[in-house]
Amino acid sequence: MVNALRWWWGILLAFSLLALSRAVLPLPFVNEVVIFSIYTMGCNFLLGRVGFISFGQPAYLAAGAYGTAFYLFYFGTNPYVGMLVGILSGLVVSGIVGPLFVRLRSDYFALVNLALAVIFYYLMQKVLAGITKGDNGLWFLTNIASTPVLNIGRPNEFFIFAVLVAFGVWAFYKYLDDTIYGACCLATKVNEDKLKFLGYSNYRVRLLAFIIANTTTALAGALYAVYLGFVSPEITSPARAADPVVVTILGGTGTLYGPLVGAFAYTGMKDVISKLIGNWELFIGFLLVFIMLAGDKGIWGTLQPRLEKLFSRRQVGTPAGDVAEARR
Amino acid sequence: MPPDSGAAPNTNADDILAVRGLNVSYGAAKVLFDVGLRVEPRQIVACVGRNGAGKSTLLKCIAGFLRPDSGSVICNHTSLVGLKSYEIARMGIKYIPQDKKVFSDLTVRENLELGSYASKDYNWDRITGYFPKLKQLMDRKGGYLSGGERQMLMIGRALLGSPKLLLVDEPTEGLAPSIVSHLKDVLGELSKDAALVLVEQNLPLVCAMASKVYALKEGRIVAELADRESIKPAVCEQYL
Amino acid sequence: MNTQLLIPGVIFGLSIGSIFFLMAIGLSLCFGLMRIISLDQLLYYSIGAYITYTLTLATGNVWLGIVGGCGIAGIVALAVERLIFRRIYERELTFSMITSFGILIGGIGVIKFFWGVVPRPVPVPIEIQTRILGTEVPVYRLVVVGVAILVYLGIWLFLNRTITGKAIRAGIEDVEHVEGLGINVSRLFTITFIIAGSLSGLAGGLHAPLIMVDPTMGLEVLAFVFMVVIIGGLGSIKGTLISAFIVGQVVSIGSLIYAPMAQMAPFAIMLLILLVKPTGLYGSPLLKR
Repeated sequence: MVNALRWWWGILLAFSLLALSRAVLPLPFVNEVVIFSIYTMGCNFLLGRVGFISFGQPAYLAAGAYGTAFYLFYFGTNPYVGMLVGILSGLVVSGIVGPLFVRLRSDYFALVNLALAVIFYYLMQKVLAGITKGDNGLWFLTNIASTPVLNIGRPNEFFIFAVLVAFGVWAFYKYLDDTIYGACCLATKVNEDKLKFLGYSNYRVRLLAFIIANTTTALAGALYAVYLGFVSPEITSPARAADPVVVTILGGTGTLYGPLVGAFAYTGMKDVISKLIGNWELFIGFLLVFIMLAGDKGIWGTLQPRLEKLFSRRQVGTPAGDVAEARR
Repeated sequence: MPPDSGAAPNTNADDILAVRGLNVSYGAAKVLFDVGLRVEPRQIVACVGRNGAGKSTLLKCIAGFLRPDSGSVICNHTSLVGLKSYEIARMGIKYIPQDKKVFSDLTVRENLELGSYASKDYNWDRITGYFPKLKQLMDRKGGYLSGGERQMLMIGRALLGSPKLLLVDEPTEGLAPSIVSHLKDVLGELSKDAALVLVEQNLPLVCAMASKVYALKEGRIVAELADRESIKPAVCEQYL
Repeated sequence: MNTQLLIPGVIFGLSIGSIFFLMAIGLSLCFGLMRIISLDQLLYYSIGAYITYTLTLATGNVWLGIVGGCGIAGIVALAVERLIFRRIYERELTFSMITSFGILIGGIGVIKFFWGVVPRPVPVPIEIQTRILGTEVPVYRLVVVGVAILVYLGIWLFLNRTITGKAIRAGIEDVEHVEGLGINVSRLFTITFIIAGSLSGLAGGLHAPLIMVDPTMGLEVLAFVFMVVIIGGLGSIKGTLISAFIVGQVVSIGSLIYAPMAQMAPFAIMLLILLVKPTGLYGSPLLKR
């Protein structure tokens, strides 16, 4: 029981804090933070754990968002089913391109993903404008039916739903970290030859990671769709390609809570800055260059080791504490 | 001969190269521990050791391709630590790596042109004097040369600018015996003008040429053989 | 298919391919020599176009504008190289990708700040048309192709007949080795970067009369330029030329056949080629991940 609690306490704390912040922060802000952090989580996993950088995350976001949008606009009204369709779309897309993309060297990988995002943008904006309504976007807010228990059509209750979903996502990734598969992911990033010699297939590890990360991104897209009640090609515009990357690095690449911290900081900054300067690109561009040059550990990345030291000193009597004691 | 580690006690101010207390790591893995050696002008010094003992690392560090964690590398009263490798090359210290890499897309002529451009020495007669075969190969691309020819080109190119110290990493590895003996003669001639630090696994060759031998084992200098009597393959073997 | 449209289509494809080629050389060289992905080349392209616009407005001479655009882009590239890239050469590939993307996005912000978001037109310097095989073809597009060919020859001469060019070719194979000879590679890097930036600026200037100049123009061609680079293979000038030609023709002739798919066809081709050769047609397989 105690062990189980220890495993969960980090996530419980983080999300309780997030839920409580609703009391002080405006609802649109926290909703944005939650969804954005899920979006970033996919990128964080790819970059931090597997070592892939992708400038094409918007493509999978769009897959999820448009999947949900199509369902809710043309077929049905149940938002849960819509989201499922969105997630499945993401799964399908990443399953199709994955086998090819994953074999590529890291720079080609980043670029083909970016190309995919641009293609999607073009597809949604022009080619399939018949069904996507092009730049006008798909509006389906009124289509969303009321759902029992939590009416996620309404922002207040959507927030609760989103926090629960995020909680689940985090629990999933934490679990993944603890498994052998999680170790394989790290290994493939650091030393792929050694992993090969151990008998694992780098390709399979990476392919699975690719699919998991991008399906997570699609989930975020589905959430966006339901939350906003509207989807437009802008969601996969190449100008937005940097967003998840910036937030990942800002929060701390490869850390578990990095995406949350990063999303918080980023959305906060966006709110503040856009009231002061209209020029968003200027800010984000320089921010990115600045973080890269200054040291790419990010906010949570620099905090985490210090917090860990703080806690291991407290837990004298536990194995970790004993070792820490012995070292001193 | 007691193992000599670290500081060379009788550092002669005229030494062309003096290394002391050199510690080098690749990331977290430490490769050289407290290594020291001394080379006098026009002396042939050899460094022997098994694979992985750290011989190449030592040469790379002296030539400026690696930064040591600590220690000093002094050439004619100038510290080499922290200098860029091209600055060290311009000082007359040339490194000839183990991999026999010449620029494969460039012809022999172009390879030499680069060397001349770097050293401002356009006199190729000396080079073709040592390696007459290069004259015939001038227009052949580096990628089409045999191992021996590449080695000749590498050494020839390094000789431009009349270097005073050559750091040669396993020059005879993988070469036919006739070429090895030719190289041996060339290196012998070269030492009339330049000091040589030779890393080699070919013990008989080393013992025939060197006037001082350092034995490197697992990153430490375990022996320094400075008198001609003791420089024999059998003796070296002991320390490896 | 109307043969009357074929000739202009081919010319159109050649001219757009030329623009892609000019930008892709810079990217290829920067990767080959410095092992960086310089996404900010798209920014120098935009700068070239905008300076062309401003100078044309001020002096009335488009060619002057283009030359000015090329030059200013080169200067900006120099500044960026000295201030930023110099610190990150040793790092891994993805690092330069992220940083250069940041420079690109930030640069777009700067452009927006100075010029606003409204697209600007640049007049075509040569309005006349000429008859080729029975159809009218704009001379300006032919000039663009001509410039690209001159640049290719120029780069070839530079790389094969000058000592700096030979040093760069050697550096593409093994930079450490070149440094070990006694050559200051940091200067080589700077020269290469300036060349890349200037060529991208030239591409922007040449392209400006053919399209509307707007802040995100760099992002719009980004995907195509990168498809050209990936298909041709990073590090190969010859590959870049061939793939620029291919992509240009596919986009152009493709749009005669079926417009919407034409923009996506290069993507499909890229995927096909990557399936067979994961580093592109002539790409250097040197680097691991």
